[in-house]
Amino acid sequence: MKKNIRIGIDTGGTFTDFILFANGTLHIKKIPSTPKDPSKAILQGLSSYLKDRPSLQIVHGTTVATNSLLQRTGKPIALLTTKGFEDVLFIGRQTRNQLYSLKGETKVPLLPSSHCIGLSERTSASGQVIKKISCEQIRKAVNTVKKCRAKAVAISFINSYANTENERAVHRAFENQGIHVSRSSQILPEYREFERTVVATVNAYLMPVISQYLDNLERKLNKVSLRIMQSNEGHISPETAKKEPIRTALSGPAGGVVAAYDLGKRTGYHQIVTFDMGGTSSDVSLIDGQIQRTHENKIGEFPIRLPIIDINTVGAGGGSIAYLDKGGSLRVGPQSAGADPGPACYGKGSHPTVTDANLVLGRLSAEHFLGGQMDIYPERSQEAVKKMGQRMHKSIWETAAGIIKVANANMSKAIRVISIERGIDVRQFVLFSFGGAGGMHAAEIASMLQIPTVLVPKNAGVFSSLGLLQADSIKDYSMTLLRTTDSSSIDSVLDQKFGELENKAQSEMNNEGFSLENMALEKYLDLRYYGQSFEITVPYRKNSDHLNEFHKIHERIYSYSHPDRLVEIVNIRLKAMGITQKVQLKKISKAGSSPDKARLTKQNIYYKGKQEQAVIYDRSFLKPGNRIFGPALVVDTESTTFIPSDFRSEIDPYLNIVLSGKEETRV
Amino acid sequence: MSEFDPIELELFKNIFVSISEEMGAVLERTALSPNIKERRDFSCALFNKKGETLAQGSHIPVHLGAMPLSVQASLKFIDFEDGDMVILNHPYKGGTHLPDLTCISPVFIKGKLCFFVANRAHHSDVGGMSPGSMPLADEIYQEGLIIPPVKLVRKGKLEPDLFHFILANVRTPEERKGDLMAQIAANHKGINRMKETVAKYGSQKTFQYASLIQDYTERILRQTIDQIPDGKYEFSDYLDDDGISQDPIEIGVKIIIQSDSSIIDFSSSSEQVRGGVNANSAVTYSAVLYVFRSLVNEDIPFNTGLLRPLNIIAPQGKVVNAQFPCATAGGNVETSQRIVDVLLGALHQAVPKKIPAASSGTMNNVTFGGLNPESKRPFAYYETIGGGMGAGFDYDGLSGVHTHMTNSLNTPIEAMENYLPLQIQKYSLRPHSGGHGKSRGGDGIVREYIFLVRTQISIISERRRFAPYGLQGGMSGKKGINMLIRADGTKIKLNSKVNIKAEPGDVLHIETPGGGGYGKKE
Repeated sequence: MKKNIRIGIDTGGTFTDFILFANGTLHIKKIPSTPKDPSKAILQGLSSYLKDRPSLQIVHGTTVATNSLLQRTGKPIALLTTKGFEDVLFIGRQTRNQLYSLKGETKVPLLPSSHCIGLSERTSASGQVIKKISCEQIRKAVNTVKKCRAKAVAISFINSYANTENERAVHRAFENQGIHVSRSSQILPEYREFERTVVATVNAYLMPVISQYLDNLERKLNKVSLRIMQSNEGHISPETAKKEPIRTALSGPAGGVVAAYDLGKRTGYHQIVTFDMGGTSSDVSLIDGQIQRTHENKIGEFPIRLPIIDINTVGAGGGSIAYLDKGGSLRVGPQSAGADPGPACYGKGSHPTVTDANLVLGRLSAEHFLGGQMDIYPERSQEAVKKMGQRMHKSIWETAAGIIKVANANMSKAIRVISIERGIDVRQFVLFSFGGAGGMHAAEIASMLQIPTVLVPKNAGVFSSLGLLQADSIKDYSMTLLRTTDSSSIDSVLDQKFGELENKAQSEMNNEGFSLENMALEKYLDLRYYGQSFEITVPYRKNSDHLNEFHKIHERIYSYSHPDRLVEIVNIRLKAMGITQKVQLKKISKAGSSPDKARLTKQNIYYKGKQEQAVIYDRSFLKPGNRIFGPALVVDTESTTFIPSDFRSEIDPYLNIVLSGKEETRV
Repeated sequence: MSEFDPIELELFKNIFVSISEEMGAVLERTALSPNIKERRDFSCALFNKKGETLAQGSHIPVHLGAMPLSVQASLKFIDFEDGDMVILNHPYKGGTHLPDLTCISPVFIKGKLCFFVANRAHHSDVGGMSPGSMPLADEIYQEGLIIPPVKLVRKGKLEPDLFHFILANVRTPEERKGDLMAQIAANHKGINRMKETVAKYGSQKTFQYASLIQDYTERILRQTIDQIPDGKYEFSDYLDDDGISQDPIEIGVKIIIQSDSSIIDFSSSSEQVRGGVNANSAVTYSAVLYVFRSLVNEDIPFNTGLLRPLNIIAPQGKVVNAQFPCATAGGNVETSQRIVDVLLGALHQAVPKKIPAASSGTMNNVTFGGLNPESKRPFAYYETIGGGMGAGFDYDGLSGVHTHMTNSLNTPIEAMENYLPLQIQKYSLRPHSGGHGKSRGGDGIVREYIFLVRTQISIISERRRFAPYGLQGGMSGKKGINMLIRADGTKIKLNSKVNIKAEPGDVLHIETPGGGGYGKKE
């Protein structure tokens, strides 16, 4: 049997991360990104493997879609709507983002209003075609779109979720015209015209961009197996990504959650809070037996109602700037010092940041910062924090501890929002902390939320790219039903509609290269009490008690339920998974409990109002079974883990650091 | 400066603000009527035991000044016990206009009343002479069911008699029931979170920072007012009419800025009127607070601290401080907007580069209802339509948005058509309706409804006679238009405020005003 080399490639703003799995071992590589043509960095990183082309399997996470959308670098597009609704994107939900700004935010539209073309056609809410679209209207549409020199066209008619006929008639006319088509009833057949039109239009906007990017990459890679990561925890073929590029637009933080889910399965943790803290922001999400998903997301100002991993992002990271506001309150973020000028200790900036506070408190080692590859000026951190402290009449240590306290409060609030506020008790959960800065804050955040255990995975700094190798192929399907569960023949309607989705899913997954035995299908219903506007997604199996499940979840989240009230099925959903082989992480047998071989030096730290001495350990020398009692710092090339004096830790067989409170009797 | 720890202040600020936001999330997600769940026409807030606001979720500005008055009014009439929840809508006893139902719950800690939580939501029907309860009335009794502060929940138990009584007086009782349940759930969330906070930080510290957070807001507003040149600034503008007579109604203001405080005097405004555009003092307070809050660039909690530097003079019996039993349906939604217009007009003289031209100045309230012949059930619906935003010194106004005192969302057309016997024929921007100038005012909106069954319509709108003003040589925005087009094509021009019946096939055509322009076009 031929041996495969599996490579995850994660293109980020600064670095392109490579994670390679061959012969049972993982290799990691970082190459500076090439934003103008991201494929350059990819080719450079792959150069030594390209001779083995047929054995390479690449899963690629890209920010091309997100960047193109946020920076508006796409080509001209057009939008076809029902006549009278041409401005649907411009009116949106008729609101302003900032309640108290007299100015109102500036919006940069994806297309000029002259490219929004209204066609005479109409479908009723019940799905009846009131006005069939005429051939003349269709001809007009094609000609006008061509006149706009649009490279892609979005089609979104009122009530098309209830009947796709008119949209499909227009769609057919654009086939073989060399123009990409994004049809709303195809990509998001759900009710609410603005949200559906946004998805169709953003998708159209990204089609030319992603097609060009992937065509170019495929040509250069020449016959290498390539998969593209989506925001929904799974990957798809480049062919599909070109048709539905919007599904890749939020793929950035998805990898970390997938990697955490996989690692959780191996280490026996099924209830996990993931905490990924970077330079400017932190991403948190919940795994409760499975990865949690949401349909309510935003990219920039666009609401994107597609299923993606439910990740909450908060503007608090290592580079977040601390300041005293006009009213004398200590604020941290969301402004960030970024990589340039960076925290004061980088030698350029003078504002104190979270990283500077960590350095002052001794939770970072200047000598071992990023493996010692970078020059650090701790005296600049001291100066910046001290200056702020003088204005607050506080010592430098109290001030630094205050900065950390406020930042931790912001991050634990982000976790609260996705857990406790939804009725989920996180005291049973494990906090998985990764990203460059997470390890310095994880123990304290866990304490604040009463989470008993923290796991800092090996390779915490590049953990997200590991997720690329652990993801399945996933496609999501949905359809609006808007029927109450007491309506006649609802069971056969569900059978029939799910049947339609299943057929579609099976044939498309087949095209993705998955046979029936490697395929798993999960069914869900979006339910609400008749008359409500927000839905709860519950798993559906024939004869399952999904209604009871719905009442239970409603009770959990909103603290009341009405089992006798009428329930409405808003959408049906199907998640199709093509199961891939996962990377088998190596388990290492236990060594003794003493970590002395990894011991480097000692350093003063400040914790809970006291000065203490912490031992610094080199993570690369730690072995399974080693135990470290706080106060201690564990350093490696990408990140630092802080073990406070009221915590202890043990290295597990996968070389993860597992922290728990000292009063706990965990062995 | 009073003693405080900048770190603790920041932590408590976040806690109080997030509690009010969590309450809002519960209300939005579990309510039944589109007006609450889709349009988010509601507000949630926390108060100290005197009924002073600590923090209010950023929801609807027009509720802002009014909510503490609700709590204070119920303190006057009610002897609170643990587990109670008071409901009210009486505009002269803590309410604003009748459709806004406010629910107030005390937070008892160890047997002592310590805080209040409250939420207010606009219900799409509270009875009265026309569906949607936003009629053209000349006394408050026609506008709907009047609820003075009464206990809907007593010691944790719903009062079934009162509940049935309320539901018997509204057109869509099922929806009201669901919405009220959501309001109760939202207060529960707030009570529990306040109790958790006290359990975690102790009552002394919580009280201390509950007071310090008000000082914080006050401090920042004072710094902001201090930047405005001292002086007297006057401005006046008009409401089209009260819907009963055709007389314009003047709103006049004199703002005196004295170092870090201000006197806002509405003495030159018209007397209260017969039709329902009267504002009670709560509405006027809300408008003043909104304008001064908007002058602050920082992100600050909305609370009683904002009131402290302001001395508001609104003599009793004026249209800005109407007395019982005046009709008030439109005071909250329309007069409040004109009060903002005159306040901004006056402040423009002091800080011309900071203050924009008039925005559309109306919420274009459309209510309708009737009997659905298919389901044999009554329907009632309320919505507002956005307009153009006024242009500023160096920016154009936004088009097709809600401005100033409201920020409620539109209801998706596909949701409306699913639930009501009508079709929307057009929903688009209104080209060239924004005032020209160096900076352009935003455009208004055109909306057309085709009614499929006989439907009773009420419209309360403004800026159909007096256009939104431009500034510094900028043109004014275009006035709004209301029209009914009968199935046979006959066009009937409608007044700014009207009650009318539509027959199947009739089309209601509304064009909303644009925003004023700023500066002479070169």
